[in-house]
Amino acid sequence: MIVGGKITGRGNGSVDPGRRALLGAGAAGMLAAVLPAPARGQTGGAQTAGAELDAPSWHGFAGRFLGADGRVTDTGNGGISHSEGQGYGLVLATAARDRGAVDRLWGWTKRNLMVRPDGLSAWKWESGKGVTDPNNATDGDILIAWGLLRAAELWKDADLRGAALALLQAIRQHTLVRQAGMTLPLPGVTGFRRGGAVIVNPSYLIMPAFQAFAAAEPSGGWDGVIGSALVFLAKARIGQGQLPPDWALLAEDGSLTLPDGFRKQFGYDAIRVPLYLAWAGYRDPWYFRPYGAFAAPFGNGPIPATVSLPGGTTAQVPASVGMLAVLRLATRIAESGNAIVVPPLGADEDYYSTVLFLLTRLAERSLGLSP
Amino acid sequence: MTRLLLLTASVLALSVPALAQQGGSPTPRALAPGVQVEVEQPGGGQAAPGRVDETALRYYARIGDVARLEAEIARLKSIDPSWQPPKDLFAPQPVQAGVDESPFWKLVSAGQMAEARAAIAEARRKTPSWQPSEKLLAELDIAEATARLRGASEGKRWQEVVDAAAADPRLLTCNRLDSLWRTAEAYGELKQTDRAFELFRTAATTCTKASERRDTLFKASRYLPQDRMRELADIAGSANPAPGEDYAIVRRAMAELDVGRTLERLGAKGVNPPAEDLARAESNVTERRDADAAIALGWFYQNKKQFGQARDWFTRANEWAASDRAAEGLILALAGLNRKEEAVAAGAPWRGKSERVDRALRAVVKPPGGGGGGPQGPSPLDRAVAARDWSLCLDLIERERRANRVTAGLAQQRGWCLMELNRPSEAEDSFAEARALSAKAGGAERRRIAEEAQYGGMVARMRMDDTAGVMHDLPGSGLGAEHQRDLKASALASQALRAYQEERFRDTLRLLDARLPLAPESRGLTLMRGWTLYNMNRHGEALELFEALDRRLSTEDTRNAVDTARQAIYRGG
Repeated sequence: MIVGGKITGRGNGSVDPGRRALLGAGAAGMLAAVLPAPARGQTGGAQTAGAELDAPSWHGFAGRFLGADGRVTDTGNGGISHSEGQGYGLVLATAARDRGAVDRLWGWTKRNLMVRPDGLSAWKWESGKGVTDPNNATDGDILIAWGLLRAAELWKDADLRGAALALLQAIRQHTLVRQAGMTLPLPGVTGFRRGGAVIVNPSYLIMPAFQAFAAAEPSGGWDGVIGSALVFLAKARIGQGQLPPDWALLAEDGSLTLPDGFRKQFGYDAIRVPLYLAWAGYRDPWYFRPYGAFAAPFGNGPIPATVSLPGGTTAQVPASVGMLAVLRLATRIAESGNAIVVPPLGADEDYYSTVLFLLTRLAERSLGLSP
Repeated sequence: MTRLLLLTASVLALSVPALAQQGGSPTPRALAPGVQVEVEQPGGGQAAPGRVDETALRYYARIGDVARLEAEIARLKSIDPSWQPPKDLFAPQPVQAGVDESPFWKLVSAGQMAEARAAIAEARRKTPSWQPSEKLLAELDIAEATARLRGASEGKRWQEVVDAAAADPRLLTCNRLDSLWRTAEAYGELKQTDRAFELFRTAATTCTKASERRDTLFKASRYLPQDRMRELADIAGSANPAPGEDYAIVRRAMAELDVGRTLERLGAKGVNPPAEDLARAESNVTERRDADAAIALGWFYQNKKQFGQARDWFTRANEWAASDRAAEGLILALAGLNRKEEAVAAGAPWRGKSERVDRALRAVVKPPGGGGGGPQGPSPLDRAVAARDWSLCLDLIERERRANRVTAGLAQQRGWCLMELNRPSEAEDSFAEARALSAKAGGAERRRIAEEAQYGGMVARMRMDDTAGVMHDLPGSGLGAEHQRDLKASALASQALRAYQEERFRDTLRLLDARLPLAPESRGLTLMRGWTLYNMNRHGEALELFEALDRRLSTEDTRNAVDTARQAIYRGG
């Protein structure tokens, strides 16, 4: 979707179709082959005791997606890089206690993406071209800030903390909107208003990040964002399956519909909703039951990656390993009784599936659900 | 465990804000998500086994919601007949340790379901050992399902209504009558009449309130054929009676529906309702002594030139509720039967007081100066007027004019016929002509015709939107009190209409109210009053008016009005 002559970042859904198409074609492996050489050596160093992410997992991720320069490559999307990838990279590197990787990730991000005057990051970067869309993607900004904040606290680093707080302030100032009594982030600074209504991406409500922000900025209003996000997610349940949509349109009166111009589905974006809720310590089964109910009819067979909303038609494409990991976590909290089998990550697992898989592992450990 | 605690704590230090501590209560608190401390929860909102759950009861008592309190007491008694409401219901309760559910109940009763869910999720995160009461969860589940059902129903997504209802059988009970009705209507829209009937029957048998059963009939009447309706009405009027309820209103409702359907068909020209339906409508009208319906029946027979039956119905109408409308019909029916003296006698009480009666009398009694028609019976002009054939009326008078036999009376009649054809400027000329010609008549007759013609002229001006002018001229017009009152009522009606069109709704109501003492409100004006209330967001009052109109005579207009008002009420919660 082109808004005001500019492509509005991930608001156009242009990333997801690619993700889906490539998954369907089984082309992720081929893409991996043309990626920069694995930077295995760069991630070395002894693992810090108490790391939440084990060294083999982290090395597996970094070796395949993190370049020596500190750039994360999205193998499911034509090898582009984006603010979300840098953010996830920072979170994972910190969890693995890989200080060197943190510095390279932030260094590359700062040099290449922090080019906007408002202090937010440009979301899209392509090899040989640089920034190809200067719009921000708010989830990327939130993830980068969260990663920086975690790193700053772990290593008591004032510079990282300063960078994190500056980014937090920019997020507060430029992306948070008040709508129907809720304070929520716009998916990007421009292009997400429809008259009096606003477009919200439920998977940009990264609850554990908001909790960390509330601790770092006690008067920053983040508790209000958390409360708003919970209310919003209680409303964002569509159709018979009551699953959240990838994109939602929130009217001034608080009513919620599916916006035109966006794929009307529960899919690659919204799968992160239960992950973030669980990670933030929310265990109310009501918030997780739709995922258990969605997965249950498929038994041990493949579970579809996407569901059209509100109709409930499922896609032929099966959920990736990472998506299955999230669904298993959600189903456990929902106590719906069905067990989802999550195979190990494949050798050619793509960037997004790997990220979901590792984040879910982090969440499960923090919740005491896995060793 | 130690290792787990360490791991968890290290993550939490980074990702979780300061851990919440329950105010005032030292024991139950969460150390961290995933690290559960077993805490004894005194009275954590859970019902003790074998006893009813009094959580909601106490909540309603505390906020003083007596209606809900009573409903909850009745519900609990139905679960456990030996149960008695606690004596300390209104005594202040000690604050429970753990999680106090009252904020959630407050949100639920304010209809803020998402906010309630969010607050509960947050409370469960902070106090993992706490579980909300079954009652609270059930209340939320059903409120959410109800909202989904209602949303689908208002969006006319009928299959979704049916699906939402299937998800929770509690929605299809008399306790949730609105959902039950909406689901039955959805089946009706989906042409699954048997299912619709089943649900309407559930309402008609399990709801004990007579008014709920009656309203069920009204709703079902849009979807069920006559034979199923009769079956439903039989059940609704007799099944599972509750003491103190008068199910006669259910039977009367069925009668109203029957009559409404039949009368609606009577109104359409050239349509003959089946004799069986007509007979049923007639007996219902007689039983209910419904004067309006009797007049409708009278005109039905009058138009078919069955003057005897027309006379009988107009007579009954006049007995049940004397009105100039009934008298008008009676005059013309008697004229049709060639019983002119009786016709004149029937008009006597309204003579000079009612325009329509005067007009009917003029059609029956030969106007001074002739106009056709011998002493044996009504003239062709009388017949034309009685048959409401206004074009023929003009033709006949035009014939007299060409023969140079026009009189003040004829000119006046022409004015009224033109008014009926909504040609007021020609009518005004005709009335002026009548006034001029009246000078030829003598004495009292002259004054009467002159006044009548002046009145006619003012009515014509009113029709041409010269309300202000008419009201200005009225005090000095010398018109009789009745005529002045008619004109004032008419002026107020047109001012009200203008106010309505200009969306000055307060003025509309004021004008309609001012008109009420002068003349009864017509159906059209009452409909306008209803829409005025609707536009002032007084949806409940609007609905009441619309429903009353619809029950009397159901038409497209009234049905749409009822639907619209009802939806506004549902939307507004």
